[in-house]
Amino acid sequence: MKMAQWDGTLITYALGSCIGICLYDPQIKLAALIHIMLPLNMEAGRKNEMKYADTGIRETLKQMTAHGANKARITAKIAGGAKMFEVAGNGALGNIGQRNIESVRMTLRREGIRLLAENVGGSVARTLSFDAATGQGFIKAYGQPDIFL
Amino acid sequence: MEIKNYNELSSLEIDTLREIGSIGTGTAATALSEMLNQRIRITLPEVRIMGYNEAIDWIGGPEAITAGVLVRISGQMNGIMLSVQPLEFVNLVLNSMLSEEIKDYEDLGEMERSALVEVGNIMISTFINALSDLAGITMEMTIPSLTVDMQGAILTVPMAEYGGQTDYLMTIGGNFVCNDKEVPCHLILSPDVRSLNFLLRKLGVTDV
Repeated sequence: MKMAQWDGTLITYALGSCIGICLYDPQIKLAALIHIMLPLNMEAGRKNEMKYADTGIRETLKQMTAHGANKARITAKIAGGAKMFEVAGNGALGNIGQRNIESVRMTLRREGIRLLAENVGGSVARTLSFDAATGQGFIKAYGQPDIFL
Repeated sequence: MEIKNYNELSSLEIDTLREIGSIGTGTAATALSEMLNQRIRITLPEVRIMGYNEAIDWIGGPEAITAGVLVRISGQMNGIMLSVQPLEFVNLVLNSMLSEEIKDYEDLGEMERSALVEVGNIMISTFINALSDLAGITMEMTIPSLTVDMQGAILTVPMAEYGGQTDYLMTIGGNFVCNDKEVPCHLILSPDVRSLNFLLRKLGVTDV
């Protein structure tokens, strides 16, 4: 997880089935960018909460509030959750990208965070950058036009 | 001793995996050699256990575009096997099979894509068969799937698959040498942790 205030650009590269979550408090221009890999934290004894949608979002919100953000003002934009390979039989975990998308949406809803924009699913990797001054997200993907989020 | 995480492997266990890598990639190189009708051998294979960022650096940065052929393995061992094919390797294949080269991955047509899938498939299945013979275990493979995209995202596939078990990725791979020119081709086998324990036990390396 990376955080910036007033200015600066946060960036996370090559999101495949992972999801980049931009959280923003516009009033104090506090931006956080999380890169989650899996939907739910079911680990016992390991402490890598930023790897998971549920604990990653919650922990980041906590840290943002500690930096003076007001949870009621925080909004979210998300990108990622692609399916990189078309393989028959999805393995034990099913379509990880799709499950990540659902878990991120659900966690945001439970935390009462408004989801302003999303660019998710499909089969292409995305690089996501997030401007702390404006709250604007920007997506680059291979063979696709650039997208403002 | 059962390991819970890749980074708990002993040096004897890593040596064993390196030997498997050597036999597997060696067989794959021979198959490729026959298919392309070129002299191809393999450099000393390496077994690496890496965190995500380290793995991305190893493969050459997150955003570089590459072709990847993926096969999922199930049966007595579960895992993912990937053939990561940089442009140099792609051109070696296309040159030998179709007498053409491409400047960019965007130039890949149907014909070229299926050539890459086939080459990836041959290498992966010979590797898996060699491993299967060596350890006396049976494995099934899915139909190979090709993707051309940012290599960071391709590498994330095995990382995410076993992300709930470990923060590390285990790769066994090497470079091919074709006509005295070294062409990077990463062949990556990532077994899940349970299968890795099973394999080491089958090979008699792990004390029961």
